[in-house]
Amino acid sequence: MTRRVVWMITFVGGLFFLLEFLLPEQAPDWLGGIKNPLTPYLGGVTNFLVVVATMAFLLGPFILVRRHVGTLVRRRQGWLESLVFVVFLGASLLAAALREEQVRSALSVLYDALFFGVLMAFFASSMALLAFYLASAAHRAFRVSSLEAGLMMAAAAIVLLGQVPLGDWLTQGLPKSLQLASVAQWILGVPNTAVQRAVMIGACGGAFAAGFRQWLGLGKGAA
Amino acid sequence: MAPWLARLHDLNPRWLYLATGLLMIVPFVILIPMPAGTPSRATQGLYDAIESCPPDKVVWIDSSWDQGSRAENEAQLECVVRHLCRQHIRFVVTSVGITPFGPEFADRTIKPIAEKAGYVYGRDWVNTGFVQAPTPASLALIINGLARDFHSIRPADVHGTPIGDLPLMQKVRTIRDIHVIYAITYSPAQEWISFIKGQFGTPVAFGCMSIMAPSYYAFLDSGQLCGVLIGNRGAAQYEALIGRPSLGTRLSMAQSFGNAAIILAALVGNLGWWAARRARRKAP
Repeated sequence: MTRRVVWMITFVGGLFFLLEFLLPEQAPDWLGGIKNPLTPYLGGVTNFLVVVATMAFLLGPFILVRRHVGTLVRRRQGWLESLVFVVFLGASLLAAALREEQVRSALSVLYDALFFGVLMAFFASSMALLAFYLASAAHRAFRVSSLEAGLMMAAAAIVLLGQVPLGDWLTQGLPKSLQLASVAQWILGVPNTAVQRAVMIGACGGAFAAGFRQWLGLGKGAA
Repeated sequence: MAPWLARLHDLNPRWLYLATGLLMIVPFVILIPMPAGTPSRATQGLYDAIESCPPDKVVWIDSSWDQGSRAENEAQLECVVRHLCRQHIRFVVTSVGITPFGPEFADRTIKPIAEKAGYVYGRDWVNTGFVQAPTPASLALIINGLARDFHSIRPADVHGTPIGDLPLMQKVRTIRDIHVIYAITYSPAQEWISFIKGQFGTPVAFGCMSIMAPSYYAFLDSGQLCGVLIGNRGAAQYEALIGRPSLGTRLSMAQSFGNAAIILAALVGNLGWWAARRARRKAP
């Protein structure tokens, strides 16, 4: 029964959005110039979607809090990490919800310290580490052991240098068509685009089939 | 074959990390003049689209990035906002899906530039905040909904002010009031192309990380994207077009050395591997 209800909602929702999208904004004059009758409801239906998505968004923090509070109360292994999580979550919520944007207060200082001082610093550090991982991976894993690997290495080097000013500087004495930027543009614009188009056409066909199956309830686990 | 060459194969990664770090820090400490390069057609396309904005229309910027892609997206937003302010073009900012931190980062980037240019919040620009869109399908529906009726999907701005109370938003209701859409994030969704350019014909441009650029060339060729700012290189070219080298130019210099470090690391690794293999073959 529940599955049937879910399927019905999926089908009706899909039908609504499909028809609203396919029907023109206004019919031609010889058809009476009627406006799309579904458009006035689009805002409401889309807002319903946002509400459902927000509920799903809340589910993650809710599960995390339940798990970490449980660990903390029972003093299980890792309770100290759970304490850090609960304290930071509580402080962030408090500072974000109660601070006034235009007024400099203790809460706005706390908000800035947590958001820009802690969270953003962590974010930046973890992202910056990627540069070092990349250099390490290039040194240890990228082996020119065959013609194909050599071609790939050459293409990668040209594109890497052709997209930065260093490439322009290195080849500025050469004719324009031989400069790294021009060769990189050719690699990206011709062979790359051909492959991207082929991949996209295949992927879109698959996505269309998967969407159609889900809409009609033909997928695995449907009613 | 020099035995030291074979030792490059087992080089302690710490030396590699040190070299990479130093190479990327140098351009921030020492100013190295390098050519900005001719603007690519992808950069020029966005510049031309903004230049042709009529006075009765606005530009819609979707700024959906945070610290994860700030290294490239910040400069892409900064240079376009500078251009808009110079041309006295009004703009609306959204953050559809991707990251709830989007509005905060957009505000921090735009506010100083807008204030310096005499722009007044609510009259000349508006930040409508984050809209939740957890899947590509819901992203498509929300984009479509915003294009049909902005006010019903975003009834309040990022500060909680009713959107109808903002003078700019009284004139902006649907996609017909928008001249061009510029979506900036790690990898902008193709739904912008299908649901905006495809359905309404409004030009769409992207600002993306360099690594994601290959997937957008097909849309540039077909004219479905009017322009793309590709990484810091795109931002640097745009800064050259508006005659104000800034963050993008500085960062693209650091990126130059970062990319060079990766290529050098691969060369060193291969040289060491090749030398070690030769040494093993020659060994009795």
